[in-house]
Order: sequence, then C-alpha cells, then structure tokens
Amino acid sequence: MKFNDQIKFMFRNMKKNRLRVFMTILATTMACAFLIVLASVGFGIQKSITEEIKSQQLITEVTVYGKAETKPDESAFLSNEDLGELADVENVTAVVRRNTIEMEAEVAVDDRTGSTYPIYITNMEEELKANLSLSKGAIPKEENEVIVGYHFAQALLTEKEREEYEKKQEAAPEGEMIEEPVGFEGDLIGKELTVKVTKYTDEENEEKSEEKSFTFNISGIGKEPSRDWETDQSIYINDSLREEILGFTFVSEEETKVEEIPYSQVLVYATSLEKVEQVTNDLKDKGYNVFSITEELDSVNLFFTVFKAGLVFVGTIAIIIASIGIFNTMTMAVTERTQEIGIMKALGAQPSTIRRIFLMESAYIGVMGAIIGVAISYAISFAANMLLPIILSAALGSEDSSIDFVFSYIPFSLVLIASAISIGVAMISGFRPAAKATNINVLSALRREM
Amino acid sequence: MIEVHQLSHSFKVGKKGSEKEIPVLKNISLKINKGEIASIVGRSGSGKSTLLNLLSGYISPTSGDILIHDTNVTKFNEKKWAKFRLDNLGFIFQSFQLISSLTTFENVELPLTLKGIDSAERKKMVMSLLEEVGLHDHTEHYPNELSGGQQQRVSIARALITKPSIIFADEPTGSLDSETEKEILDLIKQLNKEQGITFFIITHDDEVASISNHKFHLQDGVLIKGGAVVEI
Repeated sequence: MKFNDQIKFMFRNMKKNRLRVFMTILATTMACAFLIVLASVGFGIQKSITEEIKSQQLITEVTVYGKAETKPDESAFLSNEDLGELADVENVTAVVRRNTIEMEAEVAVDDRTGSTYPIYITNMEEELKANLSLSKGAIPKEENEVIVGYHFAQALLTEKEREEYEKKQEAAPEGEMIEEPVGFEGDLIGKELTVKVTKYTDEENEEKSEEKSFTFNISGIGKEPSRDWETDQSIYINDSLREEILGFTFVSEEETKVEEIPYSQVLVYATSLEKVEQVTNDLKDKGYNVFSITEELDSVNLFFTVFKAGLVFVGTIAIIIASIGIFNTMTMAVTERTQEIGIMKALGAQPSTIRRIFLMESAYIGVMGAIIGVAISYAISFAANMLLPIILSAALGSEDSSIDFVFSYIPFSLVLIASAISIGVAMISGFRPAAKATNINVLSALRREM
Repeated sequence: MIEVHQLSHSFKVGKKGSEKEIPVLKNISLKINKGEIASIVGRSGSGKSTLLNLLSGYISPTSGDILIHDTNVTKFNEKKWAKFRLDNLGFIFQSFQLISSLTTFENVELPLTLKGIDSAERKKMVMSLLEEVGLHDHTEHYPNELSGGQQQRVSIARALITKPSIIFADEPTGSLDSETEKEILDLIKQLNKEQGITFFIITHDDEVASISNHKFHLQDGVLIKGGAVVEI
C-alpha cells in the first residue's frame, strides 16, 4: 500500500470520529504548551541572570590571582616570565597588569581639584588592546601622558563649588537627591594634571605624612560606560613611571625592591566569549589561580540545568497524562474498526500496513498537539513578557514600568525537546492499540462460523 | 491448481490444562484443476467453512499439506499469506463483508490500494469492472444504500478486481432471494467461462452446487466423493 494511500486512510478514519480526535489533540496541545511554558520560565530566568552577569563585567576578562603555589592570603607576584607565558596562551589578545594607587590622592587641573579613584599604573598598549577605547584625544605617546575616564571632569570642582555643594547637602532633607555640580567644562585634552599623593608614615599618627606630586598631560578621554548609572573617573598612567610612583607609594613591612612589587591586578583578555573557557582552562593547567565569567556562568548554568530538567519532568507528566487519552482514543478506534481491519486482512493487507496506519494516527495526534502547543506557548510567553512587568510594577507601586527581566524564554532547543516528547509519547501510547489491530483474528472479525 | 493432501484440523475446547481436541476435518485429500468450478456441500458443522478457512490461510491445519499453483502454502506465515492472497485469490462472502464507511467504488478499489496501484490506474480498472457487473450507476453508494444482490455484486467485483486465478466463495447466495441467486450464479458461470477463473464454492444449496464441475460432499469432517462431475 502506498504511503499517500495510508495517509488518506488515516484521515478518513479520523474523520469518522472528529470530536474524539479533536479532544485528544486538544489534551495533547495543552500538555505540550504546559511543558514548554513551564520550562520557558526556567530558560527566561536563566537568560536574565546570565545577561546580568555578563553585563556586570567584561565577558572576555579572566582575572589571574597568582600561581597555584602562592599562599591564599598572599598577594600574587607574577614575574615577567609568567606574564610572557600568559600572553603566549592561545586566543589571548592582551595581558593587562595594573597597580592601583591605594593612598589618598588629590588631582588638580587649573584651579580645580578633586579626588578620584581608581588611579591605575598600567601598560597602555595592553589596555588599549584589551578594552580601553577613547571617546576623545589620542593614545599617550609620551611617558607623562595619561588617559582619564569619561566622567573625570565631573570630579574637578573649584573651592567655591565644593563649599556650595557641601552646604546644599547639609541643608537638604534626608533622602532627597541633590544635583551634582557639573565640574570642569571645556576640553581636558592637553591640560596639565597634577596628582598629589599623601603617604602616612605612621598609621597611628595622621599628622606624620609625606606628600609627593606627579604632573601629567591629559592625552585622551575614555569611552562612556555602557550603563547609565556607571561613572568612570579613573586615571590611566603609563607603567614606564611604575618604579618612580610605586617607589613612593608602596608601603610594606618588609624591605621590597621596587621591581619586586606585585601587580595588584592581572587581567587576561580572550579573543571572544567562546574562547574564555578554553583560556581559563589553559591557565588553570599552567598552575594559575584564575577567575572568569565562565566560572560564574558554569555554576549558574549547572543550577539552571537541574532546575529546567525538573520543570521538563513536571511538564512531561502532563504529556503522559494526555497520552492516556491518546491510548483510549486509539483503543476505541481499533475496537470500532475491528471488522474493517478483518476485511482488509482477509483481502490481503499486510500486518505492517495495518500497524502503520494506526501508528500514523497516534503520531498525527502528537504532531498536531506539538505544533499547536508550540504556537500557543509562544503566544503565552509573549503575553507574559509583555504583561507581567506591567502587573508587577503596578503591584509594587513603582512608577518605572520598565522592569528589565525576561520571565519566559523559549529557545529552539526547548521546542525540539517538547515536540520530541509529545510525538514520542503519543507514538508510544499508540503502540499497543496498533499491535492489537495487527493481531486481530480475521475470522473473529468477520464473525464467520468456524 | 489446488491440491490438498491428508489435511486434518481439530479445535481445542475447554479450559487450559484440561483442553479437549475435537477433530473437524479428517484426512481430506482433493484436487481442483484450473478453470473448474468446484463445490463443497454438506450439512452445518460438516467442516465446509473450516476447509475454506484453511485454503484461505485464515487458520493453519493440524496436519497435511495444501498446494496452490504448485506452491506449498501450509507453512506460510501471516505476511506471506497476505501477499499470496492479494496476488492470487479473490473472496466472496455470504454476508458480503463490505466496509460500511466506503462507497461501492472505494470497496472495489480496496484490494488495488493494498497492492499499491496508482490512483489513476485504479479508477480506470474499477470503473470498467463496475460497468461489467452492472453497478456503474452506484459508484458513490454506500453498502447500506444497496440491495442484497447489488452488495454481492460489489463483493464479486472486489474479488475480481485484482484478476485472481482462484475465487473462494463462502455461501455466495446464502443471503439472497432465488431470483437474485440465479443472477449471481449466472455471473459466476460467465466469469468462469470467459475469464477461466477457478471457483471454489462452499454451499449447502443444491442449486448452487449444480453449476460446478466437481462436487465434493463433506460429512462429519470426512470427504465423501459422491456426485460425479456435473456437465454444465
């Protein structure tokens, strides 16, 4: 029997019991949609959290804490050979090593002063290769040229402006936001910047202190941070001055040679997010203590894999319940068509043909249930993502209705998994009725005397 | 064409463990040649239908052999029997056995569909045959919209559509009045004469048996070779 004739037979059979088939498809549709929507909540929350993690730090960044043999409470000292080794790891674009000036530092441009943080002493070339990009100006060429953060100018206030701001702050009722002063207006490029560092020589007596000023020229201004609430008032100083500056600022109980002062931050940048895991693993293999976004994502993903598996399991139970309906429908169909099957077998229908027609019928119920179920799930998912933020913000009394959270997300893999489960379970529940149809005794079916 | 050697069949009755074997057919041997009309007559319970069921492959014999077209079909499995039936045999039943949800056309078309013949070819063949049996005006009728005689004609058309060499008929006129019975018997004779189809008819009606070349008598599962060849 040809395949298209089998299809025709299947449809003709189902047409005879439209309502029963419709109700069975409906049950399968609801079960499939339930499974997808349930699991989509897991996928949605995972997506939101993962994106939140990714947005909080540079996704290609791998922080190196030191070598494995370093004592955990000790700052890592990575030698120049180590840094060379880091750079040689496959898919590494840049190795940034920084020292931060941890002391009180006052910066001054013209008549304006301010205190900014952080002040990095770093390798400018590596910073640029990694992630530092400029909104204005140029890359430092001279030793005493620096790059400042996008919001650096805001920190620079005159004495008068500072006094007024402090007065306003005192006068303002608690909780009220005061508009921050604009700071330096105009072009910072080419301006002379003085950084005055104060070192307390005796921790108990603040008066015993030393001061040293370093003068730089501002050559470039960094790019605006991607997030509105982030402010960047950092200063990037070329590491050719590292020894000079750290020679003054570094305080240690032991005598430390300037060249042995450890880097306070070593960051390795991978070429892309996909390569972060490989870079992280390679560095671990080489004995470095590292942390990257993939480490954090791994634990998040592990949790969500278990969570989603639980949701899919619950959803599958719904499909199994629906499959009881399919089993019932198919058993009824076989019983009703016993004589017809008997006639077909008596004329010479192959048992496999009979079985296939019934299996196709249960598979059709599964396929239809999956297709409609997927469509409904997308509609529910879309509606949930659109309406839930509005409902939530109304319930929480927040005026800001832009809650940035994905409640339900249906990846294609979920559609595939749910469809496979629906169709698979539908077919399994059709096996027994199909076998029953195949084993029908011709004589009993024809009700012939023997 | 059809050879039966020492064919026996018995049914098991009773509860499992304490089953009793009841012999229905005992050492039947017969031979039917190509182009013959053979009839088996006998009283109810004589084993006529059991013999036909064995020859059709619906049940397996306890012992003995069945050869059709020189092929020993005794040990055929269900799959082989299905193909053999579809390729070589046609069936006419007493209660017609038409599928009630199919039209005349679809009922006749069914064996061709099972054989995997193209739809266009099927249509041509079915229409031509329905014309032959005088049912071309009833192609879209369902079985319950046809008279007994018409239903049996559909049944005969369905048996003929695959051009089988042998047709098994179980009480083909059992449900019909005498006038319609005559029409059906005339049709069988005509098909036998014109197309050389071998008929194997089970009946308890002498009128039906009278059209056969070979008449076999069955009594309590034993073949009594009474009734010489009838000239028709």
